[in-house]
Amino acid sequence: MALIFIMPLALVIVMALVQDAPFRDYQELKLDALLVDLDADTLGVKMRKAFAAAGQVNLLSEKDSAIARARVHAGDFKIAIVIPEKTSEILRRKTRQLITTVFANFGLPADRSDSVSLPSIELKIFVDPALKANYRQSLSSGMEKIIANVQTAWILDELQSQLSEGRPDTKKLEFDLSKVVTIKESYATEDKYRGFLLNSVQHNVPAWTMFAMFFILYPLAGNFINEREDGSMLRLRLISGSQVPVITGKFTFYFLVCILQFLMMVAVGIFVMPLLGLNKLVLGGSGALILLTACCVAMAATGYGVLIAVYFRTAQQALSFGSVSVVILSAIGGVWVPVYVMPEILQTVSRFSPMSWGLESFNDLFLRQASMQTILPNILRLTGFALVTVSASILIHNSRTVV
Amino acid sequence: MNVVQLEHLNKQYHKSGKLAVSDLSIAIPEGAVFGLLGPNGAGKSTTVMLLCGLTRPDSGTVSVMGLDMRHHGNEIRKKIGVAPQEIALFPSLTAGENLLYFGRMYGLSSKYVRDQTEKLLHIFGLTEKSGKQVHTFSGGMKRRLNLMAALLHEPKLVILDEPTAGVDVQSRNMILNYLIELKANGTSIIYSSHVLEEAERICSHLAIIDEGKLITTGTLELVKEKHQDCGNLEQLFLKLTGKNIRD
Repeated sequence: MALIFIMPLALVIVMALVQDAPFRDYQELKLDALLVDLDADTLGVKMRKAFAAAGQVNLLSEKDSAIARARVHAGDFKIAIVIPEKTSEILRRKTRQLITTVFANFGLPADRSDSVSLPSIELKIFVDPALKANYRQSLSSGMEKIIANVQTAWILDELQSQLSEGRPDTKKLEFDLSKVVTIKESYATEDKYRGFLLNSVQHNVPAWTMFAMFFILYPLAGNFINEREDGSMLRLRLISGSQVPVITGKFTFYFLVCILQFLMMVAVGIFVMPLLGLNKLVLGGSGALILLTACCVAMAATGYGVLIAVYFRTAQQALSFGSVSVVILSAIGGVWVPVYVMPEILQTVSRFSPMSWGLESFNDLFLRQASMQTILPNILRLTGFALVTVSASILIHNSRTVV
Repeated sequence: MNVVQLEHLNKQYHKSGKLAVSDLSIAIPEGAVFGLLGPNGAGKSTTVMLLCGLTRPDSGTVSVMGLDMRHHGNEIRKKIGVAPQEIALFPSLTAGENLLYFGRMYGLSSKYVRDQTEKLLHIFGLTEKSGKQVHTFSGGMKRRLNLMAALLHEPKLVILDEPTAGVDVQSRNMILNYLIELKANGTSIIYSSHVLEEAERICSHLAIIDEGKLITTGTLELVKEKHQDCGNLEQLFLKLTGKNIRD
């Protein structure tokens, strides 16, 4: 009972909790970062404003770059940004020299008072080695964008300054360049699910439910082999030669257990997960199609369990092979990590995992509100897998039964 | 009329390469208590498995109640009752539940099974243990229940493989008395054992096999008559199968 119901529930809750943070990393997690503003000028102010507006990084001030580095090294912060002294001033002067060069090239009057060769500006970022590469990249890109914006604003400012030479009545204009081009993201889902993303609960509930359903082989094979060893299976063979009722009886019982597992897991996703501070499981697609997919996964899982139970002669063989094979099928099926992040060869192999077919169908239904037509190929694969495993089980069992 | 006819049966276990049954031909008359005797490894259990259709012969034919096992295996199994050497029961079910389950698997009505269960539990002295799980039973109680499961549907042929193995004297006596009663009612019994006193007590016919081959067969009197120099069945058995220890 505990193995069939309690353990899978515990597993799905623990996995959803564990993977909640990594999922939020990509979507909503706010990262604390140190800012050492030795410049104490415009760039630091602009950077604070830009990061505050983006909302993903919370900048905290630190005065000493050595301390900032030490705190990142100690793991207190994931990242520290150092703006060296006079960065804003050098950037401003470089901008002015740039405009002067352009004006001179077109024969326009220009301010040639500053012709000193300036050093290049180098902003430093101290990064915790544990910080994900994509996070580091997005932070660097964000900083480059901020600097580019500041520089563009200063170019415009300098242009206006130099063009207004000798025109005391001309007023400088302020431009908001951020409004020129905007990017609007939207998800290709139905209206009522707009803005709804894959999160820890949406991934883990179907994924680990399937894992648990395939682990039905554990009680199934254990029970089957026990019956073989304690002689009750022999009695059934002595009563009737046909093993179809024996196999189908076991199949039906454990199939229903799998469905019950699925319903319990879904109920936990909807009612219990939110109580633990996690997202609520959203069943985006049709309830009938979700139940159909669950039935097909349950058939495939039970069929696999029956085959393992029939094929292996001892409980030790069946349970060792069975549990390791389920872990492998789940790994290549995308239960642990999504298939698309796997190497190409594993992505190819994953097409042969029934868990991949099931997970793909659940994702299609939950996130994309897929139609029957979309999930049909995977439904057929799962049903075919169940038919093949049950037929093979009956053949093997009958061949060992006899005449 | 013969209730069982074995003709030129051969069976070799491919893994071990052992020839378990070799050109075995036996005829068992209807209403007989037929002792299938032999030392350890003689091929008794393999012969019983062939009789029940639990294993397929390499060659030869098995005919039970006029039906060929190759074509009527299921039909034959429904008509015979088998108490295998291993205890073939669900240990987590009670005695009553086991009998009810097996009776229903035979296609008997619930009422018939309940009546039969009550009768057999009474005969074998297990009425009070009907509600107890089988795993709590002693060896003798399990052995009796194992036999009861074979008798539920009142078969015309009962095959018993070492039915008294590991049971106490009282249980053995009870089992043997019941078998004598069955014989009196016209039930044919195949009794595989190496307990020769029991065989001598209840069998009307016998076959002694060794290394898969038939050594002798016939009525108990006829076999004894052939070997008048032997005082009893045990001496006859040792004379025919030798005194070497078997594994």
